[in-house]
Amino acid sequence: MSMACRKVYIASASMIRVSRYFTKSYKELAFDVVDEISRNLSNDGLNNIDYVIVSNVFSDSMLDQLDISTILTQELGLTPKPALRIETGESSGLAAIAHAYALIKSGLASSVLVIGVEKSSEYPTTAINKHLTKLLDYEVESIYDFALVNEAAFLMKEYMERYRYSREDLSSWSVKMHSNAVRNPYAQLKFTVTKEQVVNSQVLSDPLRLLDSFPIGDGAAAILLTSNDGLISNSDYVEIEAVFQATALPLNLRDNILELPATKLLFSRLVKECKVDINDAVLEIHDSYSILGYLIIEELGLVRRGKAPEVINDLNNVNLSGGLKARGHPIGATGVYQVAEIFKILTEGLGDVRRNVTWGLAHSMSALDLNSAVVVVRRCR
Amino acid sequence: MVGGVSVGIISWGAYIPRFRIKVSDIARLWGFDQLLVKSLNIEEKAVANVDEDATTMGWYAARSAIMRAGINVGELGAIFLGTESKPYAVKPSATIIGDALGLPNKKLASDMEFACRAAGEGIRISIGLVSSGMIKYSLVVGSDTAQANPGDVLELTAASGAAAYIIGPKDEGVAYFEGSYTYTSDTPDFWRRDGSPYPLHGEVFTDEPAYFNHIVNSVKGLMSELGLRPEDFDYAIFHQPNGRFPLRVGAELGFPKDKILPGLVNPWIGNTYNASALLGLAKVLEEAKPGQRILLATFGSGAGSDSFSIVTTDKLLTRVNNALKVTDMLNNKIYIGYDAYAKYRKLLERI
Amino acid sequence: MKLSIPRFWRRRFDYYSIRITECLECGRKSYPRRPICPYCKSRNVRTTNSVGLGEVVSYTISYYRIEGSEENLPKIIALIRLDEGPIVIGEVVDVSQSEVRQGLRVEAVLRRLKSEDPSGLIYYGLKFRPLITNSAVG
Repeated sequence: MSMACRKVYIASASMIRVSRYFTKSYKELAFDVVDEISRNLSNDGLNNIDYVIVSNVFSDSMLDQLDISTILTQELGLTPKPALRIETGESSGLAAIAHAYALIKSGLASSVLVIGVEKSSEYPTTAINKHLTKLLDYEVESIYDFALVNEAAFLMKEYMERYRYSREDLSSWSVKMHSNAVRNPYAQLKFTVTKEQVVNSQVLSDPLRLLDSFPIGDGAAAILLTSNDGLISNSDYVEIEAVFQATALPLNLRDNILELPATKLLFSRLVKECKVDINDAVLEIHDSYSILGYLIIEELGLVRRGKAPEVINDLNNVNLSGGLKARGHPIGATGVYQVAEIFKILTEGLGDVRRNVTWGLAHSMSALDLNSAVVVVRRCR
Repeated sequence: MVGGVSVGIISWGAYIPRFRIKVSDIARLWGFDQLLVKSLNIEEKAVANVDEDATTMGWYAARSAIMRAGINVGELGAIFLGTESKPYAVKPSATIIGDALGLPNKKLASDMEFACRAAGEGIRISIGLVSSGMIKYSLVVGSDTAQANPGDVLELTAASGAAAYIIGPKDEGVAYFEGSYTYTSDTPDFWRRDGSPYPLHGEVFTDEPAYFNHIVNSVKGLMSELGLRPEDFDYAIFHQPNGRFPLRVGAELGFPKDKILPGLVNPWIGNTYNASALLGLAKVLEEAKPGQRILLATFGSGAGSDSFSIVTTDKLLTRVNNALKVTDMLNNKIYIGYDAYAKYRKLLERI
Repeated sequence: MKLSIPRFWRRRFDYYSIRITECLECGRKSYPRRPICPYCKSRNVRTTNSVGLGEVVSYTISYYRIEGSEENLPKIIALIRLDEGPIVIGEVVDVSQSEVRQGLRVEAVLRRLKSEDPSGLIYYGLKFRPLITNSAVG
């Protein structure tokens, strides 16, 4: 069979609730999700796996651990399989899936286990905030203590001014995300919020408030990708149709700060190369800050520019998980959560949420669209 | 110590932080009588921000001096930073300012300590360096974020500020040195031990045996060597620990009030230590006319005083407006209370 | 030792001045200094020093707590357009919250950036402060 015809199926996916797990280490979180995959597999369990890819961002800075993929193979009984850790900032999860896809598509592997794991709660918030600044160029930005929230705040201000929105108008995103998360058993923040609560939450960087931002949490999710349909246990086949990645210049070099250049590139390639019907799809997009949520769906063409805050409440196929805002954002693991959620929504259900659609689109970005990825998932009918 | 007649002041620069705290607010908090405040004749003092120090303030004053001079930075052959609030006990700030302003590697550079007169000594040394032909231009910076034990009377006056002077050939100067004189002795009126955050002082002992004794001897020595009398001077600028001593020492030497007031800046900014007399000189240079004679007398505890006889030239008016003036900075202020002051001056211990 | 010595030292002139990339091919200027134009990818570029003057394009008052640098809060972070053209991100200091606004003229000034402990190295770099006008220069 030629490489072009080689399919990459999602055989199984598992995740744990995003939370602060003070009693569990990254090894135990990874063990829990991989164990579930192992139990889902027919024939010979994890021995079928040719390759292990771990997506994790803060192992060096917060866990004093290099080469975390190897340590996890030891813990998970996967020695001597080849192992690799992928890190592209906040989009590591989708980058890891993209790499797994490439390994299988090229024939170098038949089955790849992708594990996303992050322990953000090992230190107090001010420490994590410091590590998050490392997503920007240390020598140019982090050394001055500029942070992502500051950049997102510039976007919010520009958006409010350009499209004449009040601070309260821009609270609609978080309200919708929290409403979705209530039905997701794996979401970190399973409670609704009101616009007033968003507007009155603690200021991070004016006008951006706490309830505009993703929460800090630990998480683990795992996906088994394979070209071997013998490993698939559910009746519907779900495959990865395509992956796209791109990088972009920093915010200060952009002529229009409300444009997301890498995401724009990805979506234009998506439109050209895949025949995705957005109306027959569910989407999980990177709303690390609410303003980005609006900009991403506008960039995708789901709504007209400047209209997203008015329309979000009626969108019922975007971030059904609750998004980064309410499902949570365990940084390196998030991309794996997104694809796992899409898989579940298309098959057994994410909680009680199921959709009989054909397509799933996972979108992730690092910082303000510096390194971004899209993974296109398709139900094979 | 007559000589250096071939040397002049090419330009000057000043820096006064924006923040001010009213001395009466400090007095009220620590239980000082308002009559004491009145007797100091200081209204408010300048407070450096939490991210400022002697190096950053000195940088600004030095940059202004370079801008005002219009000289090629590559011809600066020395940089001296006079300060008693060095950010590093060992590691020169002079080289930090030097690299930050693009000074050449071939240069003398050092941080100097002699309480408030270190920069004054830097000027005298520069006169020697320039007149000997060893260098063409020298940059002398006086900069301090003066410390005082909270609740001590010194806290009512200790302030932050910087001044910088470029010394060079007389014929390029906005003013030239007719002469200079330094008088020093071992007089422990005020000191700070290594590692101690705040200085100690002898209170009234800092007056007669220190301030008055050394300034009077220095100025009398200068005037005697140059054959000058107080009537020959248009301005007299003295180191300004408070708003009254300059008038008192001036009177003792025979200088009337109206010659001293133009150079008196501390009522609005407090005692800026190494920048004190030098900011007074900057203000005077910004108002003086060519052909006027200025007396400048520094004082540093420990103790010593430099005095200079400075005569302005017709180049003065061409450079005054090339950079910010002292009066521009005196007028540009934001008032803060003791709470922000304690935070900016790091009086609150944090771990 | 928390702060690297050589990492700062080798780039100190980039922290003491704002050095810009000027592309001789497409004409665009950008920050920071790079060997290749980020826009047209030409290697025909040169580095120039900004005079350090500019104006505030957008600003935010930040309360975001970053370990090791809480003493500066709240602080004002701004997008600043330098007179030479490029936009930089910078902290605006010595300004009250009522004074800061779009269009505020600012100048780059040397300040302490970080000093991770009282015994350690001090990193100095540029922040921005409202430009005080000289009565004659304006």
